[in-house]
Amino acid sequence: MNDANKLNDTAGVKRVIRRYGFSKPYWDGTREKKLVIQYCRATGKYQHYPRPVSIYTGRRRDLEWREVSGKGELYSFCIAYRGLPAFRGQEPYAVVSVTLDVGVNMIANMMHCTRDEIHIGMRVRPCWLPLEDGTNLVMFEPDRDTI
Amino acid sequence: MSLRDAAIVAYAETKVMEKTDRDIFELDGDILESLLDKTGIEKSEIDALVVSGLTRTGAGNVFWAQTTADELGLEVDYCDQVHIGGCSATGAVARTAAAIDAGLCSTAFLLFSDTPSEDNRRDRGFSQEWIGTYGLMGPPGAFGLLSRRYEHQYGLDYEMLGKLAVTQRNHALLNDNACEKLRKPITVADYLNSRMIAEPIRLLDCVMPCDGATGLIMMSRRRAKQKGLANCVIPTGYAERTNYRGGEGMVDVTWSGHKAAGQRALDIAGLNLKDVASFHPYDDFLIAIMLQFENLGFCKHGEGAAFIRDHDLSFRGDLPLNTGGGLISSGAAACSSHNLIEAVRQLMGEGGARQVRNTRNALVTGIGWINYGRNWGSSSVMVLVPNE
Repeated sequence: MNDANKLNDTAGVKRVIRRYGFSKPYWDGTREKKLVIQYCRATGKYQHYPRPVSIYTGRRRDLEWREVSGKGELYSFCIAYRGLPAFRGQEPYAVVSVTLDVGVNMIANMMHCTRDEIHIGMRVRPCWLPLEDGTNLVMFEPDRDTI
Repeated sequence: MSLRDAAIVAYAETKVMEKTDRDIFELDGDILESLLDKTGIEKSEIDALVVSGLTRTGAGNVFWAQTTADELGLEVDYCDQVHIGGCSATGAVARTAAAIDAGLCSTAFLLFSDTPSEDNRRDRGFSQEWIGTYGLMGPPGAFGLLSRRYEHQYGLDYEMLGKLAVTQRNHALLNDNACEKLRKPITVADYLNSRMIAEPIRLLDCVMPCDGATGLIMMSRRRAKQKGLANCVIPTGYAERTNYRGGEGMVDVTWSGHKAAGQRALDIAGLNLKDVASFHPYDDFLIAIMLQFENLGFCKHGEGAAFIRDHDLSFRGDLPLNTGGGLISSGAAACSSHNLIEAVRQLMGEGGARQVRNTRNALVTGIGWINYGRNWGSSSVMVLVPNE
């Protein structure tokens, strides 16, 4: 692979993530590499990032957590040539917005993918990056089985 | 027309607790749910959010009101945070009454919350947990995602963004107050060849944060007349929209709150878009200008580049654009107010070497805060006219 085609996985970035109370079920799920996101019982729709209420009804009691496959397609991407401080030296890397099959967008990094390969509409699946505290960080990679 | 035309129709409160780890937005969610239950109104009826707090949890985040709207899925026409210390609660009631009286909103949610406990008083927002984790660099990253998606849906002629860059730069050359570093001529090729920051966002797509200040004095028109201040500028229409389609999970990022705010502001002002004399859009990134042409209705979605190609956007042209250079070519300082100040200057006839011919009105816009995976948090549109 030539350098111009390379995208960094960002696996080497030391990530210190401060978590908040109502996102706990999400992070707990990642310990088993499960993607568990919020679901609104009243409207039958998912939402992400975790919120204190259903963004559809404004009510806490309408929310529950459901495991989803994490498969989806690329909604958009950008390639960072000047990263945040913790990401310096990792450039270029791709930040992607993925439309999960359950109908919600999620932002993450792309792994195992080249500059030539990445494109809007491509099928992706989750892959997991271990964090020091036993949780895992969801990332995406090309879903080559379905291409 | 007075304070007493507005009514407080419901209240809610959580239990007061010492040293909890309860998240401030969780408390906010409890309050929202309680108020919806008590009043029987739907979330979608709330068209104003006014927040206040005395501790760093909220008050330390300058985007707190918008962040809260995003957290709670509230899409509102009036979004405010009142910061006058221990007077904020009563101050918020008075200011909200004034906003209702002025027709800026009709159903307001006033939210007061604090979590000052030792481990619970940090600035609170979603970005550190859900965006920073992935190295998405704030606005350039968000506009990178937006630009790429736009390009996918409609195609994107970067040379036309380059034309915007050159037009605004030429205006900055005529603006003695513009940042000196930016007062050098550029070409479309300079734009296209500037280095990538968050591909497809280039260096010359972006604003440069600078130091500076601006200010205004406002008074009633009657008082202005009494004082003989005849050369003045009147805001005849204003609307804003925060968290556009924020109650939906999937949105088209090329559609923004300017669509809703623009129609409303123009209606209030009684101005037809084709009669806009000069245009002073918020320009944190070049593509934001193009999206505003489309969302305000100057052209259809996807036809922004053609619109830019077909119009002379210089101060002498048929639609003068950011005649002071815009934020991108004059430097982003003073709360990014320079486009507003420039519009006022032009309507007062004080544009000097860059004075526009048609000073019947000016259209000024704002863009505020970056939300999660959409485009931006708030969109504002204001129509200004000179004093008759």
